[in-house]
Amino acid sequence: MNKIRKQRLFNVFLIICVSSLGVFFILKALNSNLDYFYTPSEVLIANIPQDKRIKIGGMVKKDSVDRNGTKVIFKITDFENTIEVHYEGVIPDLFKEGSGVVAYGKIRDKTLIAENIFAKHDENYMPPNIEISSG
Amino acid sequence: MKIFIRLVILIIPIVGFIFFYNLLTEDKFYPGANFDRFNVPVFALDDITYQKIYTKDDLNDELLLNVWASWCITCRVEHGFLMELKQEGFLITGLNYKDESTDANNWLNLYGNPYNFSLHDIKGSLALDMGVTGAPETFLIKNGEVLVHYSGEVNLAVWDNVFYPVIKENKMFR
Amino acid sequence: MIAEISHFFLVTASGLFLLSFIFSTLTYKTNHNLEILVSRVFSYGSYFVFISFFIYIWLSIQSDFSIRYIAEHSNKDLAVFYKISSIWSAHEGSMFLWIVFLSLWSQFFNFKLPQADLLKAPSIGILSFIIFGFLIFLLFTSNPYDLILPIAPVNGADINPILQDPALAIHPPFLYLGYVGFVIAFAYNTAFLIKGDLDINWEKIIRPWSLIAWILLTIGITLGSWWAYYELGWGGYWFWDPVENVALMPWLAGTALIHSLYASSRSNSLRGWTILLSISVFSLSLFGAFIVRSGIIDSVHAFANDPQRGLYLLLFSGILIISSLTFYALRLPKLVSSNLIKPKSKESFLSINNILFVTAIFAVMLGVLYPLIFDFIYEERISIGPPYYNTIIAPIAFLSSIFLVFSVGSLWQRSSKLFFIYSPLSLSILLSIFIACFIAFKLQDFEWWFIGGIFSGFLILIRYLLLAINNISKKMYFNKASAISHVGLGILLISISINAGLSYEKIINIKAGDSFQDDMYTFNLLDFDLINEDNFDSIKAKFLIKNNDASEQVFYMFPEKRKYFIRGQITSESAIQITPFKDIYITLGDQLDNGYWVVNIQYNYFIRWIWISAIIMCLGSLMAIKERSVKK
Repeated sequence: MNKIRKQRLFNVFLIICVSSLGVFFILKALNSNLDYFYTPSEVLIANIPQDKRIKIGGMVKKDSVDRNGTKVIFKITDFENTIEVHYEGVIPDLFKEGSGVVAYGKIRDKTLIAENIFAKHDENYMPPNIEISSG
Repeated sequence: MKIFIRLVILIIPIVGFIFFYNLLTEDKFYPGANFDRFNVPVFALDDITYQKIYTKDDLNDELLLNVWASWCITCRVEHGFLMELKQEGFLITGLNYKDESTDANNWLNLYGNPYNFSLHDIKGSLALDMGVTGAPETFLIKNGEVLVHYSGEVNLAVWDNVFYPVIKENKMFR
Repeated sequence: MIAEISHFFLVTASGLFLLSFIFSTLTYKTNHNLEILVSRVFSYGSYFVFISFFIYIWLSIQSDFSIRYIAEHSNKDLAVFYKISSIWSAHEGSMFLWIVFLSLWSQFFNFKLPQADLLKAPSIGILSFIIFGFLIFLLFTSNPYDLILPIAPVNGADINPILQDPALAIHPPFLYLGYVGFVIAFAYNTAFLIKGDLDINWEKIIRPWSLIAWILLTIGITLGSWWAYYELGWGGYWFWDPVENVALMPWLAGTALIHSLYASSRSNSLRGWTILLSISVFSLSLFGAFIVRSGIIDSVHAFANDPQRGLYLLLFSGILIISSLTFYALRLPKLVSSNLIKPKSKESFLSINNILFVTAIFAVMLGVLYPLIFDFIYEERISIGPPYYNTIIAPIAFLSSIFLVFSVGSLWQRSSKLFFIYSPLSLSILLSIFIACFIAFKLQDFEWWFIGGIFSGFLILIRYLLLAINNISKKMYFNKASAISHVGLGILLISISINAGLSYEKIINIKAGDSFQDDMYTFNLLDFDLINEDNFDSIKAKFLIKNNDASEQVFYMFPEKRKYFIRGQITSESAIQITPFKDIYITLGDQLDNGYWVVNIQYNYFIRWIWISAIIMCLGSLMAIKERSVKK
């Protein structure tokens, strides 16, 4: 085996080693940063570890929003089950009763302690302003 | 060695291609379609001509419930297809969503009326209970139970791929 | 009527592009007259596309609501500027713009490239094929000229007030211009692979085109991030949203490409790799278009759609990418040069950074695709949070800055001695370690990535500073373009680290007449103004803010909440006070029953410097186009 060939083989070997190490770290980072997405009904049956952050999506239940200082408590519904959400902070502009919402945080006693709330963007086709509000 | 590198360069995009192809051709791939079944909620609403108050019992047949409004451009686009469906004998009920009754009636007079009647849901309360987020949306209902909920414009492709299989399976509209 | 004529122009254009493609396949045995014909027919095709688009803009300004797309996305009451920008606010129109830019780049290329260039006819042929494919896609699956028959609506729908914003309106055109610009490198190099004539100096041809495309893409991404910062009210500038990610991938690949192009014009060893990159950049742009327009991801930016579109795009992009890569694989043995890359030569460091960039692209792509793969296999819905991207990108950025600094003093095709005690490299490492330690000591509470970011940023800055001092004082050749771009990169790394490490927010409850004090400022909420505008009502809070330090500087801020008439949509307009090193960012939350308001106050450090550094990088690259042309 000549010198160039040897050198080339060594290079290939090095690249394979480094890239498998890279892939290993990427996959590890990926697995530790997965956020599972649940509906309220799924939350009730699934066994979710307390330290795992999850996302819950659904609609903000009618007449369930309770504000106290910077804290907000409301319920997310999928029309079958509901989950109570506790959140502290500024709620998004699009957040309103009866609109889509995704809450992100950890579960404590069937309640989501949310770190973030995302209101779903309205559909493309939204109604004009009507004096009587829908709430 | 070189053969190996050449193969890898080609295989990566081909694998990606096959993956996406499978994803897109899966039959459930219509983002607007929802096949979760639920019962039509209790309600009492006027129709847009204020002649009669309708309730849950009036949606007990086999029918399509179409959410529409005069301010909704896509409803205007969808309108032609709904007229065709009506001519083929499908029963379509309208759910007029957050709209003024005069605007709604003018709209139907101008373009034609595909509905047997239209409920006047000015507050959007029935719509909210049924999970409507905008207009147009269409429900396939059999005996007071919703079989399909579709958000967005219904056209021939959506009809053939989303509604028709369910209609056939449940032996509806015979 | 005008709409139908304009529609017909677009159909004609697609016919001309097909013709140009067919002619180009016949020029395989060089036929000069036919080659001129390819170029001519191609020009006519492009002109038809441009005319059709100008008419479309005019129709949009005229509010021709018989056209479905205009009716659905525009409104009589909009300002002319937003009537025009509504064209690219949704799928059909933005695809149209995409094609217009594709033709624009290609026509410029067609115009600039001398007729004598051996690869002119085949590369124009490839461009015709690409434009033809996208025109067919536009005309058959997403036609912007679809009409509403028989009667046009009186008025259109209103576009979302959040979308009526100058930065939002102009950033998609820049992004598209950038994405699409890499098509030139793709087409020319694919033509090179087909011909297989190794003597052609393609580096020189595609370098300026790729640089301009890179600059425009950078501007587009920067504008998008600036818009997200001031409009969305979260005070962030980058959210690792899938649509941001698909813009980042071609940017990373494009960055690797412009460096690699430079290297392969200096030494033959990287040629094969550079061609692969030039194919990849446009492939990643196609991938981005596919992801955004096929509806397979859920995102605030994604366009609503049907599966037919996704399938067509997949098929067409698949044909382009796989056939180009097949030619690559066929020519690969010829492309790989026999001389090995010498360790510790300039191109060795460049190669390492190339590998690091590819790793970053791979990681970002995996982040976009993993939720899809997961859903496909386990039928469970997941999402990948920003921490994933941060854990991957931070070490890659760190490592590549180290290798960048190594490459500064090294030589082409020769191993270089880098570390001796008085070398500028050792000096810059020492100085940056000193600065990083100093900052760590000042802060006491810090995280390692923060120090790493500061260190690598200063390392780059100091190394280029020393280089400038040395070369200018000795009157040696000094690559200003490269130095300026990399100084921009250094500032970017420092700004991102400081922004992530120091920024914080607090949420307070406050009512009119009250004040709130923290260790830097006193916020007095004076009162609220009710303002009635043409299309919205607004509540404007009036804050008087006093700096607690000796200067006692005083200023006002007016965060506001708007309610638009047409949709009843509520939006928050954050108030931003810009100071050299930080922004004060106030967002008005909700009013509570007892008259108190929830208010969010953020201190965003160095956020301006992130965008300034992007501008510096663009300036540097602009100079690189003019830089003394590459020697062989």
